[in-house]
Amino acid sequence: MILGLETKKLKRTGYFPAFLAGGLLAAAFPLVNMLARSETFTALPGNPFDILTDANGQMMAMLNMLVSLCGACMMYHTEYADGGAQRMQTLPLRSGRLFGGKLLIASLVLAGMVAVETAALAGCAAHWFPAYTAQLPPLIRNAAFQWLVTLPTVTLTLVIASVCKNMWVSLGTGVILVFTLSIFPQDNPVLSLFPFSAPYQTLAAAAENGRVLLFSGVCAAEVAAFVLLELVCQKVRRCAE
Amino acid sequence: MNRIETQNLTKAYGNFTAVEDLNLHIRKGRVYGFLGPNGAGKSTTMKMFLGLTRPTRGSFHIDGKTYPSDRTAILKEIGSFIEAPAFYGNLTGEENLEIIRKILGLPKSSVSDALELVGLTPFRRRLAKKYSLGMKQRLGLAGALIGRPPILLLDEPTNGLDPVGIHEIRTLIKSLPQQYDCTVLVSSHLLPEVELMADDIGILNHGRLLFEGTMEELKARALAAGFPADRLEDTFLAMIDEDNRKRGAGR
Repeated sequence: MILGLETKKLKRTGYFPAFLAGGLLAAAFPLVNMLARSETFTALPGNPFDILTDANGQMMAMLNMLVSLCGACMMYHTEYADGGAQRMQTLPLRSGRLFGGKLLIASLVLAGMVAVETAALAGCAAHWFPAYTAQLPPLIRNAAFQWLVTLPTVTLTLVIASVCKNMWVSLGTGVILVFTLSIFPQDNPVLSLFPFSAPYQTLAAAAENGRVLLFSGVCAAEVAAFVLLELVCQKVRRCAE
Repeated sequence: MNRIETQNLTKAYGNFTAVEDLNLHIRKGRVYGFLGPNGAGKSTTMKMFLGLTRPTRGSFHIDGKTYPSDRTAILKEIGSFIEAPAFYGNLTGEENLEIIRKILGLPKSSVSDALELVGLTPFRRRLAKKYSLGMKQRLGLAGALIGRPPILLLDEPTNGLDPVGIHEIRTLIKSLPQQYDCTVLVSSHLLPEVELMADDIGILNHGRLLFEGTMEELKARALAAGFPADRLEDTFLAMIDEDNRKRGAGR
């Protein structure tokens, strides 16, 4: 029920078209890159899919984060603009479930974006690298890893958007975090695990350093921690208001 | 039998006490007019009943249920309209009510029923953000009335309505106890309106309850204290004035 309700609330907000446009824009990036300078990449040794991920992954990850941030702001702006959130609080429904519904939608649309981007990378690899044959299991592993390392960022943006009733504050905070944390070095074992930094990690790079499990575990723990943080914020708000 | 009862209910924000040792007794099937000047603590009290804000001290029971352990059960029985209409501007009036209907698990017909009650049926497919202030107010009321809950908390329900709208809503509120065996707690600044619709009155000033009882009891009390008793407005002003004077002298 909660998924249907939260989806209904997003009607006419431009939320789903924004994710579709973001996904297509991110997917167009490797295509444009290959159209413009394919020789640079086709000359490189290694797995074609990993070559293209290395070349385009950063920009795609940043787009994913920015679109997710805008999505989180849209979700909570809809709640706060005309008092919908307050109306929900007066109904027999746990407010944690509302956040859960929003997180579920945000993770599903993120999964959709990542799937479109992975398909675009695989398509480019198949077109420009004749020796490459796309296989579904490694593509799913790549997409799942990318989704998992971006999920803490998505959760944190939702927490920020739920705390700040003014959409511009949450949007500004998110944009600052996206650009500030993007400078964290990806080879640093600790800094690369932070939200807004972890999405730049690729499966190939993590596998090379033997840190796939570490990333998966830490990102899952971060998601759980941010959900807990949201529940604490809701309790604090109720006491303070 | 009391449907809502509070015991020394208190809400403080730092050094400021918004509601102090409030003991309300709201009887079943009555319209209870909750009066007080701005900042007296009416909305804060209603917010505590809805769990929107946590009491600092004291407790309350609604239909025999206690907050906070029975919060969800309490909310199932309350239809509310607090301070201003709250809705999703990107949805139509009908879609807004549909969301509430689903959460409350009501039959589909309850949406059209609520729209009909407040006279919004012709505008049900218009986006809520495009509603006039009066229509938004009606939508908020429809959200409170949907499913005909046994308890209604209405905070300034006639704000923004024209005289015809005020009359309609007053008639509706007055008819609710007989029609649906409903208990209504209504606050309003329009004292003549409250006088016409309320069976019982509670007067709040600076968070403290100055009076609670029926209209007749209020009149008797006013006469005994030498206050004007012909109109609720005059009695109310005299009571508030005297309380303010006493507080001033106390300081």
